[in-house]
Amino acid sequence: MDKMEGSFAVEDMQNVQINIGAIVKEVEEWDQPMGPFPYPQIATLRDWDFKIMQRYKIMYSPICDRCTLCTYGPCDLTGDKRGACGIDQAAQNGRIVLIACLMGATAHCAHGRHLYHWVLEKFGDLPINMGDEILVDAPITRTIAGIRPKTIKDFGPVLSYFEEQVSQLLASTHTGQEANYMDFESKALHASMLDHLGMEASDIIQMVAYDMPRGDENAPLVECGMGTLDKNKAILLTYGHNLAASAEAMFYTEDNNLWDKVDIGGVCCTAHDNVRIGEGLGYPKEISEKYKDVGTKAKIAGAIGWWRKLIRADVMDCVMVDEQCVWTDAVNECSARKVPMIASSEKIMMGFPDRTNDPVDEIVDDLVNFRMPGVAVLDPTKAGEVAVKTAIAVKPKRAAEREADPFLSEEEFKKHAESCTYCHACQFVCPPHIKIGDVVRAAAEGNLEPLSSTYEVCVGCRRCEQACPQDIPILSLYAFANKEYIRDHKFKMRAGRGPVKDTEIRRVGAPIVLGTIPGVIALVGCSNYPNGTKEAYDMAKEFVDRGFIVAASGCMAMDMSLYTDEEGKTIWEQYPGAIDGRNICNMGSCVANSHISGATIKIATIFAGRNERANFDDMADYTISKIGACGVAWGAYSQKAASIATGCNRMGIPVVIQPHGVMYRRSYVGRTDKKENWEIIDARDGSKVYCEPAPEHMLYIAETKEEAMLMMAKLCFRPSDNNQGRMIKLTHYCDISMKYFGCMPPDWHVYVRHASDLPLKWKEDMLKELEAKHGWGIDWKRKAILTGPIRKMDVSFDPTNIERKIRVKK
Amino acid sequence: MAVDTTKNAVPFEMAQIPGPEMAKAYNTKVIGAILKKAKRPLLVVGAELFEDPVMFDKAIEIGKMGVPIAATAHTIKGFIERGYTENVHMIGLHPLTSYLRFKDWQGLDGEGHYDVVIFMGIFYKFASAMFSTLKNFNRDIKRVSIDRYYHVNADMTFGNLAFNPDQYHEAVDEVIAAMAK
Repeated sequence: MDKMEGSFAVEDMQNVQINIGAIVKEVEEWDQPMGPFPYPQIATLRDWDFKIMQRYKIMYSPICDRCTLCTYGPCDLTGDKRGACGIDQAAQNGRIVLIACLMGATAHCAHGRHLYHWVLEKFGDLPINMGDEILVDAPITRTIAGIRPKTIKDFGPVLSYFEEQVSQLLASTHTGQEANYMDFESKALHASMLDHLGMEASDIIQMVAYDMPRGDENAPLVECGMGTLDKNKAILLTYGHNLAASAEAMFYTEDNNLWDKVDIGGVCCTAHDNVRIGEGLGYPKEISEKYKDVGTKAKIAGAIGWWRKLIRADVMDCVMVDEQCVWTDAVNECSARKVPMIASSEKIMMGFPDRTNDPVDEIVDDLVNFRMPGVAVLDPTKAGEVAVKTAIAVKPKRAAEREADPFLSEEEFKKHAESCTYCHACQFVCPPHIKIGDVVRAAAEGNLEPLSSTYEVCVGCRRCEQACPQDIPILSLYAFANKEYIRDHKFKMRAGRGPVKDTEIRRVGAPIVLGTIPGVIALVGCSNYPNGTKEAYDMAKEFVDRGFIVAASGCMAMDMSLYTDEEGKTIWEQYPGAIDGRNICNMGSCVANSHISGATIKIATIFAGRNERANFDDMADYTISKIGACGVAWGAYSQKAASIATGCNRMGIPVVIQPHGVMYRRSYVGRTDKKENWEIIDARDGSKVYCEPAPEHMLYIAETKEEAMLMMAKLCFRPSDNNQGRMIKLTHYCDISMKYFGCMPPDWHVYVRHASDLPLKWKEDMLKELEAKHGWGIDWKRKAILTGPIRKMDVSFDPTNIERKIRVKK
Repeated sequence: MAVDTTKNAVPFEMAQIPGPEMAKAYNTKVIGAILKKAKRPLLVVGAELFEDPVMFDKAIEIGKMGVPIAATAHTIKGFIERGYTENVHMIGLHPLTSYLRFKDWQGLDGEGHYDVVIFMGIFYKFASAMFSTLKNFNRDIKRVSIDRYYHVNADMTFGNLAFNPDQYHEAVDEVIAAMAK
């Protein structure tokens, strides 16, 4: 059922107005009955959350032992202590987790809300047409809201619902409100589920308005890397996550035939969305007729971790920021290098004067003559025009104002390097623990190799420079030593393909659920890697080669583009881009992560025929029981990454994060020594079955890439795997362990239900070990397992965690 | 002369100031004596051992003194390469810490919980957060770091020795010697 807001006045009655909350009309085209939980409120799905938390024990790692939020504080909460308000350490951490998830969720949803208004203003209401191969569109919106949006305006009530929920959730974090850590976590799960709703709304709105690819496995290969930006032209960098103003800059450039004068490179997710414009199905016509494939003319400058490297390498003449992940000292870096800035979002105005209502040429004149470091222009069209004109006009001015070579001179480099006193203050603050003192000392001795080999490990946080008592510009030393690298930094990335097609789901649904495609690995998130960008590529390659479906998004998709095989091909050129085994898909920007969680819903509904409408826990239950998917956020830094991961967790998708992920303070960890935690219902008759721990954890922190990869393979086990599927999964789990650990994983036997589950290459040895080490009964004649497994293999087993899914009660 | 492991007792990541309860840096003899007295100690080693392989040998020395070893990340490989797997258990630091916080856990060998955990060779921020979990949620376990960092959330730790590998190696040797006495 759809709800339409409205009101009318009664003519003959003075001063009377009757307000009607909603007129209800039937939606003829969607015959699916409304499920139990349309627009779920805070407590609606609490039972589901508590089921997750019963199995996956909440683990807190407090970063701060105190609470400093009210005037009674600071309160020491260490151990068993409580604050003046009565809050304990667990609840306080749950509270901070909720706040972080709300930050992340609102960032995405506010982005969607801005696009909603902007797109309606620019294009009017547009039909949500995802093409003939995507009929189950907006799966998350269907599942949560119980509606099937037909036009952009239909997202209005969805966004309003989100905003109301966020208001209620944030209120619960005030002192003297929620008291229990599990309830804080349930609220964090709710906020994060809403995050996926907001992401889906945002991406659908922009896909529809800007004619982006909609499930296109052959989306164009676009240029990626610092070296792709043409220094013979003016270079405009557009930085953030909301393409509105950046798209206008591209349109202005196209309309005025300026591509030979300006290069537009994106940083962070705006980069992704720039290169998706005009590559879709050919509508709306306004885009397809005037701007077809205009996205291929823009370039990916770099992921978030490259921002400070970009500015130190002087690759830009002008910067336009929109929203999210914009380093807040960008204005300092830019003004020091005479790079004018345009702030195009109310969320980031950077202290600039609001020039929205001033004539374009006046604004440009002020920027080009460096009368001010930047301006705020909140009209995307005007901001885009200002940005392009400024970039073109300021390029020669910058050259005149600055020294010819933007890099340090040889003498300056030497002087700085030699001034290092080897105090190691820099290393005390370096997130990936680069031995910066050694690197700088080597540079002083003329050896630049360490500056080269650690360039990709550096996350560009600039904490080292701030810690340095000698004021050594360490990032500028890096830029000096990597001039050639920067110039040659040229790669190809496949533009974001958008959602999963129904036809793809039909092809892979059964193999995923049965396990014969060993899993879906989603490599998502940011650029704060523990050991460099190369690990993004390594992880992707390992799992594509093994026949997993690998989906990537956001900065991790960009970072894995920076490496090539022996033939010089990036990962996008090595493998096709469909949702299938041995494929790698770039879904798109951050908000395109919703298509990954949405794909699990599509498997449940298209392959398994389940009703998704207003039926969240059913979809999540199906996912956790039957879909071997695992998210990986190996460079996660942001609150958005926290809410994306937590939203995946509520959907039943486990997530592996990097060691810096401890800053999120909370994880969900299984206990395999407690058999009772792994009791699952057989939906056929309601009987309870003790299962193997599959998946064992819901949010796992790995110390190294190797550990992460082992866990990724392991977290793809599901109770529904058939023998062949379990054998394939067990093969990869054991093989990764042998490859990187030098031994079998200690718990491989836990996942064996039947001799047919055993990998063929180790079957004999495994049977021997099962008998000798674990005391299992083996029939050697038949090579069969007689006793020992946690449960017997049952091909008809229908695992569920929800009582209402029981078909015939005993 | 013994290495002064009480110097430089500032958090390795300088902004990591958790609250009123912060670790004290001890000298090697005291730490060695505490470890020797432990009834169920557990040595937990991480992937930084690969960057300083001699530390594998030192871990094995401790293992041979009867202290079981939790080989986190992929460090089991280093032990296998050295032919020592006797009391070495392969487990991630994250699930290990999760188990350690539960008082009813029966240990990696099923023979009971641990009274002292000793961290060595683990990525600093990760180790610090795992110490924090134990500091706040299972205070029955003594948290000892013999890593090259001052670990603010431990009970007992060295000061920062990260920039002097020789001194650090010597300090660990002194702890081992004190345990052997």
